[in-house]
Amino acid sequence: MSEFLGYERDDGSVGIRNHVAIISTAPYANDTVKRAAEIVENTVPITHPLGRCQTKPDVFQTYRTLLGYGTHPNVYGTVVVAHAGEIVDGDELASDVAETGRPSDSVNIHGEKGVMNALQRTVNSAREMVQEASDQRRVPADMSNLTFGINCATSDTTSGLCQHKATARAAWRLIDDHDGRACFAETPEFFGGEHELAERAVNDEVKQEILDRVENWDQRLQATGYDVRGAQPTPDNMDGGLTTIEEKSLGALVKSGDGPIQDIVDYGAQIPDDSGMYIMDTPGHGAESVTGIGAGGAHFMVISTGQGHTLSNAIMPTIKITGNPGSAERVPEQTDVDVSEALVGDQSFDWASDQLWDEIEDVVNGKLTMSEAMGESQFAIHRIGPST
Amino acid sequence: MADRYLEVVEPDDNVATALRELEAGETVAVAVGDEERTVEVSEDVVFGHKIAIEDIADGETITKYGKSIGNATEDIPAGTWVHVHNVESNYGRGDLADGEQTAAVSE
Repeated sequence: MSEFLGYERDDGSVGIRNHVAIISTAPYANDTVKRAAEIVENTVPITHPLGRCQTKPDVFQTYRTLLGYGTHPNVYGTVVVAHAGEIVDGDELASDVAETGRPSDSVNIHGEKGVMNALQRTVNSAREMVQEASDQRRVPADMSNLTFGINCATSDTTSGLCQHKATARAAWRLIDDHDGRACFAETPEFFGGEHELAERAVNDEVKQEILDRVENWDQRLQATGYDVRGAQPTPDNMDGGLTTIEEKSLGALVKSGDGPIQDIVDYGAQIPDDSGMYIMDTPGHGAESVTGIGAGGAHFMVISTGQGHTLSNAIMPTIKITGNPGSAERVPEQTDVDVSEALVGDQSFDWASDQLWDEIEDVVNGKLTMSEAMGESQFAIHRIGPST
Repeated sequence: MADRYLEVVEPDDNVATALRELEAGETVAVAVGDEERTVEVSEDVVFGHKIAIEDIADGETITKYGKSIGNATEDIPAGTWVHVHNVESNYGRGDLADGEQTAAVSE
């Protein structure tokens, strides 16, 4: 298949879903967003504790992450809800969304003279967008439009030996056979494998950038004054046999394969258009890394997990793959694809990759993933510095 | 014939990953590159955990994927379970950082 059926956007992107997002710019608009999303069917509420009293690096990061969701290929239209005048500006966000040709509205609780008025306007705008979105048809589009997100979750020692190999092969299939893109992340999970990873960079500048960012993370962790073990690896990683962050990392890097790395981009920044494999600089914290890659515009994400994980995203469908025999049975709602037969049975890793690819084809054409069907998602923007 | 449920990723690794439960007292044949090595398992090991496939001295590098995954914190004889109780990491070690870096928040 070199085509899929997707939703064309005015900015040239093609979505695999047709969501209407209702985005909060600050904690004080979260309730209005959640209430509106309860009233209007088929809307995705995006709420978070940030957007106010943040220092500039965090303001930029919060803004570009929210904008990434407002303009995501899988998003038809966006309603932005702000509380009052904020450093993450609601009008600016809605205006930047509108520049991509998407329907957008900006609602300000103070500007509307209260929560009830703001709720009414949010509901009216979102309802209109949902009805319009439901009237849009999927049309054939080239697979080269697609960006494949990659993340791991509740890794164990099976991850690097099995499911990450299947994930890497599927990602490179999208790049090599269909001219698509892929992006992985979780910089602290390069510890111990960073030199080999950096050697894969397409030029010396990217190579140095990878090494610098890994070093920066190690410095930030050392500055806490504590051993990071317990946070990396996590207790569930250790239960699964992973002993140190180095062991976790060397397994984690298997999911990126061994092909060239085009670039490493900032948290929440747009993943470039050119075909190839990219890195986003994020923490290993799954909710934060997945949120970042979603903001970068990945259409779907493969979450390669050892023991299963609820990790998911409301805008970017997540396909969970495991190679741990027993995980599919133990946590059925957290497993879309079970390839454990490639680890302990008689199947090959090519077979495992084909299982995953078949699921990806179904999902990009509209099949709901396990977490979409279960209505599960998280949203967590990584923060850099203090609140102020 | 080597036990397919004991995986050594690279020939210079000194640990194997158990893809089945191991019992103390078992003798297992481990494939290490093109060679086969016999190891006496000295303690029970659960699925997914590691055993030493050679004697590893205190302070020596633990090697998996052909790379360091940390250092032994005690002598680890072949056949022993290798995990957090006898291996330490070399990254994110704020506890070992120099004097300028002290814990900002106490426990």
